[in-house]
Amino acid sequence: MKYNITQKKDIGGTDYLLEVEAPQVAERIRPGNFVVLITVPNGERIPMSVQKAEDGKIAMFVKKLGKTSRALDACGECTTLEAVVGPMGKPVELKKFGNVVFVSDLVCGHAENYLFSQVFSKIEGNHMISMQTFPTKDEIYPEEYLAKGLCDEYYLTTKDGSVGLKGHYLEKLKELLDEGRCDIIFGGGDIPSLHELAKLTRPYEVPTIVTVRQIMVDATGMCGSCRVFVSGEMKLSCIDGPMFDATKLDFEDIISRLGMFKEAEAKAMEWCKQQQECK
Amino acid sequence: MPNIHIPRQEMPKQAPEDRRDNFNEVALGFTAELAQKEAQRCIQCKKPFCIDGCPVEIDIPAFIKFISEGDFEGALKKVREENLLPGICGRVCPQEQQCEIQCVLGKKQEPVAIGRLERFVADWGKQTGFDDEFHIEEKKKSVAVVGSGPASISCAIDLRRFGYQVTLFEALHKAGGVLQYGIPEFRLPKKIVDFEINNLDELGVDVKINTVIGQHVEFDELRGFFDAVFLGTGAGAPLFLNIEGEKLKGLYSANEFLIRTNLMKAYKFPEYDTPIICGNKVGVIGAGNVAMDAARCAVRLGADEVYILYRRTKKQAPARLEELENALEEGVILKELVNPVRVLGTDDGWVRAIELIMMELGEPDSSGRARPIPIENSEFEMELDTVVVALGTKPNRLFLNKVPELETTPWGTIQVDERLKTNMEGVYAGGDAVRGNATVILALGDGRTAARSIHAYLQNGKH
Ligand SMILES: Cc1cc2nc3c(=O)[nH]c(=O)nc-3n(C[C@H](O)[C@H](O)[C@H](O)COP(=O)(O)OP(=O)(O)OC[C@H]3O[C@@H](n4cnc5c(N)ncnc54)[C@H](O)[C@@H]3O)c2cc1C
Ligand SMILES: Cc1cc2nc3c(=O)[nH]c(=O)nc-3n(C[C@H](O)[C@H](O)[C@H](O)COP(=O)(O)OP(=O)(O)OC[C@H]3O[C@@H](n4cnc5c(N)ncnc54)[C@H](O)[C@@H]3O)c2cc1C
Ligand code: FES
Repeated sequence: MKYNITQKKDIGGTDYLLEVEAPQVAERIRPGNFVVLITVPNGERIPMSVQKAEDGKIAMFVKKLGKTSRALDACGECTTLEAVVGPMGKPVELKKFGNVVFVSDLVCGHAENYLFSQVFSKIEGNHMISMQTFPTKDEIYPEEYLAKGLCDEYYLTTKDGSVGLKGHYLEKLKELLDEGRCDIIFGGGDIPSLHELAKLTRPYEVPTIVTVRQIMVDATGMCGSCRVFVSGEMKLSCIDGPMFDATKLDFEDIISRLGMFKEAEAKAMEWCKQQQECK
Repeated sequence: MPNIHIPRQEMPKQAPEDRRDNFNEVALGFTAELAQKEAQRCIQCKKPFCIDGCPVEIDIPAFIKFISEGDFEGALKKVREENLLPGICGRVCPQEQQCEIQCVLGKKQEPVAIGRLERFVADWGKQTGFDDEFHIEEKKKSVAVVGSGPASISCAIDLRRFGYQVTLFEALHKAGGVLQYGIPEFRLPKKIVDFEINNLDELGVDVKINTVIGQHVEFDELRGFFDAVFLGTGAGAPLFLNIEGEKLKGLYSANEFLIRTNLMKAYKFPEYDTPIICGNKVGVIGAGNVAMDAARCAVRLGADEVYILYRRTKKQAPARLEELENALEEGVILKELVNPVRVLGTDDGWVRAIELIMMELGEPDSSGRARPIPIENSEFEMELDTVVVALGTKPNRLFLNKVPELETTPWGTIQVDERLKTNMEGVYAGGDAVRGNATVILALGDGRTAARSIHAYLQNGKH
């Protein structure tokens, strides 16, 4: 069985939207889940966050990073994926928290931000606040892919101030924290930013739950590649996560091991270019 | 006529210096001539102890007699009465601890090479297109089989033969369980595993890959949809050492090392996408089959020095003897009586060395093996750039976490009765999910037992 690609288009910077038909997966996706894709027969298993799951389709935001993401982007005739597996991981509890904040500054985080905003704003008693950071106005996604229309309160920031507030979401978030307007904070995106987020919210004692993107292989709890340390205890991000309490995570470990395959990834890119599969 | 004066026949193998550089199968199998010669060694005991040693009680003397007479089809049919995966078991069973250890010939000389003969007939059948010719009387009732390791494969085949509508669900993108993702190509070529999975298809089993029960399909849904369920979810969750240094880059669980190499074919990187980083000095902790597989993969991935670091001695190593010897022939160095204390890293977080402590053997422990005791102040450092932890695995949690009502043992394995029934109506389990780290043949036997129990349940109503 193959999975039909129904949409693939650039949405900003090096990010593109990928939409595939996967009815059984789509029906079950909840905030906190992710999916695993295999793009080609010899492909790796890559984890992806989901932006939207509707009408039997799931949409994702993919960054053109290395071999897999670039080759898929460049492949005009690729109309199917080999596998779409999921939902994987543990969904978060859907309930009334009060003021729910989602912060994001990178592709996967923006996808999660959309899905969380869509779901949490509909839960009675929640006030959904969404914050999204982009480097400059050129990288901002079209409005239909932002969480803007889905939440109750929205902040767009650019690092250079070309649109929206100037700076990173961390600065605006600090204001909300000082005003005591956050009951729970979810976050996704750049890992070092999530580390800063944890440092920021810790003194306020506001629950801060973030997506960890450790490198996965099987994503079914059998290899240990995705291990992270939560208050010193080993957890597997693919089955115990991928969302964890940011204030308890060992970020130095996460960041160090995320870079483990850098050299091999560069080699894969080279090869991909030689085969003229990547741009 | 049996002839005990014939020596045990050696099976042709790739030479160690050749096979160090490739992932092709090491053991090449008997020729018909060698097989017949070896079969003639069997003295056809009136009371064959070898059968007692076989977990699924293959009629060993009978199938060997067929081989000695040149009736390979007769031999294969005999084996297949009890063992549906002889091509796999002939390659991976620890025969020296099972049937062959019981062989009477073994008292004075070497036992009959039962495993090699089993493999021979299976390969003969595959080459000649042998088919079991089975007539299936279709039944309406349906059974879900979760997982696709040997327990699930055998359970699915038998249930199908009873006539049930069988759907097999596998979480990964390739079916076969450990046979597919764990045991390397050079020991068990994947075309043999794929062949068995293909046979499932042909038998009419609906094989659904990429389907995680408990995530993609809820367990309650599954139970609602099928009349009975078999759980063969295995024990694939990695164990770590819980020592300092497990965060370092270059430290893998054996499962990660093997899944990258075998399932994801990292040895063909970058043609295949998944990479593996195997350094020049590799230390594998443990001395079971998994450790041997990891060490031998490391050799093939180009490591200069590969060490098995084991807290007991060669004699107690749980690996199949043949594989331990193959590993040593390939240049793997067995370091006995050492136990890891911590793994040491470079400033940028890569494995640099391991600190080991010397051990000595004391009185036997509950496993009957001599207990290793650390020798005080004997710690020393050994330089390594890759560490593979091969200490065994635990039951897969992914599924169990989702079904808290399913009774488990204190070790986390699924609790079953002698019919392999769990505490849930119509739900049966077997293989590593029930036994912890066991063997292919025990898993296979469980699959068959469970199929019989499920058949009885579906015929007679509630258990
Ligand atoms: C839970 C989760 C959700 C994710 N969501 C998204 C998303 O919504 N959009 C998106 O673009 N990316 C997402 N990722 C990351 C994505 O899986 C990687 O970017 C992708 O695998 C890169 O593959 P590549 O061949 O293009 O790049 P490569 O050159 O192979 O890798 C580039 C970088 O991506 C990371 N990476 C590589 N392989 C993996 C892997 N198997 N698992 C995790 N990270 C890896 C590493 O940091 C690596 O340095 C997510 C990862 C996780 C764990
Ligand atoms: C590296 C290695 C080498 C070995 N060597 C030998 C040997 O030489 N000889 C020997 O006899 N034994 C050996 N063993 C042990 C042997 O492989 C196992 O005992 C046997 O495979 C167990 O079979 P099983 O059917 O119980 O499960 P497994 O083979 O473990 O298969 C379980 C399957 O279930 C799937 N699964 C789990 N959860 C779900 C879910 N929720 N939904 C769908 N699918 C799911 C898993 O993905 C997996 O594919 C070895 C094991 C390893 C790891
Ligand atoms: S990815 Fe293998 S255990 Fe999580």
